[in-house]
Amino acid sequence: MTLEFHWRLLQGGETANMTRAAEGGRRETGLPDLGRQTEFCRYAEQCGITGLLTDIGATKPDPILLAAALGMATQNIEFIVAYRSGLIPPTTFVQQLNTLSALIDGRFSLNIVAGHSPLEQRFYGDFLSHDERYPRTEEFLAICHAFWAGDGPVNFEGNYYRIQDGLLNTPFVARVRKSPYIFVGGGSEGARKLAISQGSCWMRLADTPAKLMSGAKSVLDAGKELGLRVCVICRPTREEAIQAASALVSDLDPVLREREQEREFIRRSDSISIRQGYENADDQWPTPWLWTGAVRSHGSAAVAIVGNPDEVASAFIEYGRIGITQFIVSGWPKLEEMIIFGRDVIPLVRQKERLLAEAGTSIPQ
Amino acid sequence: MKGAQARAAQNGVPDVAAHLKYCRVVEECGFESLLTAFGFHRPDPIVLAAALGVLTTKVKFMIAVRSGVSSPTAFVQQVNTVSVLTQGRVCLNVVGGHTPKEQRAYGDFLAHDERYERTDEFLTICRALWKEEGPVNFKGAHYQIEEAVLKTPFVSGERRGPEIFVGGASDVALKLAIRHADCLWTLPRSPEEMSGQVHEVLASGTEVGLLVSLIARPTREDALAAAADLLQRVGGEARQVHREYSARSDSAAFTGTLARAEKSESEWLTPWLWMGAVPYLGAPAIALVGSYEEVAKAIREYEAAGITQFLFMGWPDLEEMRHFSDGVRPCLGDSQSSPTSERPPAAMLK
Repeated sequence: MTLEFHWRLLQGGETANMTRAAEGGRRETGLPDLGRQTEFCRYAEQCGITGLLTDIGATKPDPILLAAALGMATQNIEFIVAYRSGLIPPTTFVQQLNTLSALIDGRFSLNIVAGHSPLEQRFYGDFLSHDERYPRTEEFLAICHAFWAGDGPVNFEGNYYRIQDGLLNTPFVARVRKSPYIFVGGGSEGARKLAISQGSCWMRLADTPAKLMSGAKSVLDAGKELGLRVCVICRPTREEAIQAASALVSDLDPVLREREQEREFIRRSDSISIRQGYENADDQWPTPWLWTGAVRSHGSAAVAIVGNPDEVASAFIEYGRIGITQFIVSGWPKLEEMIIFGRDVIPLVRQKERLLAEAGTSIPQ
Repeated sequence: MKGAQARAAQNGVPDVAAHLKYCRVVEECGFESLLTAFGFHRPDPIVLAAALGVLTTKVKFMIAVRSGVSSPTAFVQQVNTVSVLTQGRVCLNVVGGHTPKEQRAYGDFLAHDERYERTDEFLTICRALWKEEGPVNFKGAHYQIEEAVLKTPFVSGERRGPEIFVGGASDVALKLAIRHADCLWTLPRSPEEMSGQVHEVLASGTEVGLLVSLIARPTREDALAAAADLLQRVGGEARQVHREYSARSDSAAFTGTLARAEKSESEWLTPWLWMGAVPYLGAPAIALVGSYEEVAKAIREYEAAGITQFLFMGWPDLEEMRHFSDGVRPCLGDSQSSPTSERPPAAMLK
């Protein structure tokens, strides 16, 4: 088993050290920037990155259409299209995805999230509570799978959806798969169960390997994979990496009140993993290589592996040992960190994987 | 031929190379926009428009929107994204949906008139978001939206939101067009018959457009031969396909035209408006048939009746677009009878 690395796509107008507060003030983050984003895709292909995450949210462009536009301009890179239930009916969703698959040769997977902000869900007319959003997403994905199974008309009668004789003439088109690979994001029990029943991979925010053991076995036993959202700060030496990490938070613009705004965001969120990630950030170094120092200003997804290339590669292998094999990575700045990662870290990870395989201690699947 | 096949038997896989070739011809022939239609048997029109839009530079995409159960906020976010990706080359064709059976496949169980009521709410919310005058709040029978703000704006020159076309012939469709649309698409009858309704719509500040097929050839004889040839090609089975479709449809525009074509003593509503292909290819196959001169004259008569926009179809389209651009358009240019004929027509991606 080899570890698979994905990266977060560069956003329009994105700057090197952008916090949620800084992003909020910039109109450009809502605008696709095909020139820079296509260039980013080409770099990702060269760096050995499998897929690029296209985020979803009211402050972003639509991820399905952005993936379509970027997919037309690229050959190999895949896209991880983030989506939530509660926006469009499952039939329309499948029709859009199948159309996308035919246009870009199936080069995408899904990152299904339940939504993290009740306020934002209401923008879209969705008034369900956190706990109800999971059962609805369960129904949503069950209907999608029924379409992808291609066994004739789809009929479904649930608590949230009712579909009668659903048929689509545009199939999911890909080289191998019959339906998209599905990352299910979220740290709650609801997310874990959803990953097992409808997904391909349970995706969590980074934490120590010890803490991530919880719930992991049930997912692996179900034949599904485990994944992690994590940031990387890798420099030639550990000292330089730590320096880069502290610069990230010491260079904050006092005018933007970034810490206050992130706290406000957390207060409004009903996502269990986002809130936990924020609370856990009291301990800045939960392991010698895992740093949470940027969480309070850059958000719960900013937990970072910090170190020299060998330390960073070893950290990923540690996750691999407990069965975590999929990684959606980000860094500051996204492009430069991705180039360092592709050049200095991935080759070391591959080397360590080979050594482990030769020693007969392969990473469990 | 696609229109002659049952929808369930049609291939829904987009062919990018063929579609691009089609877009180029549309651009060369001076058509302004290209309708990407909606249906379970087709690729998704908005995804298709985004993909073709980034590979073209001139043609505008008229994206068909079905009243349904999508969130209007999510819809506006998609339309705005396409506008940025294509430098604003996007407009909308809003339809109420024409078969209850197909609507149910999308989770929509509303009846015909209720669908229009919901579409009215849908467009009210969309237009509020396009105004960009702060957070949008709405509470209706079908949608509830709270404090909605999007960061991806609609980008297209001076426009703050897309041009909206509404199709339909029922009273509710008409009302919807008057309330929300820039233009109402109608199927043709004789210009005299249409003029009353056209002026009623015009008086409300909404344009009226004509959705019509063309069979234009250098001479009338050539055109009649082309029409006969079309019937030959579509054969008898297609008639059954469209009867069955009509039995399931609750669209006033589509079933009305089809019933008229089936019952009528003559295939000719006027000397140049021909319904002969309607039983085989469906309501939009109602066609202006004649020499280049005659078809141009017919178009001018509709313009005189107040029609300002045209969406043309051909069987096949590529060939017919050439006939229009090389044959009919020069005849239209001669007269300059109406200033509105400056607006180039639209075509449909079949």
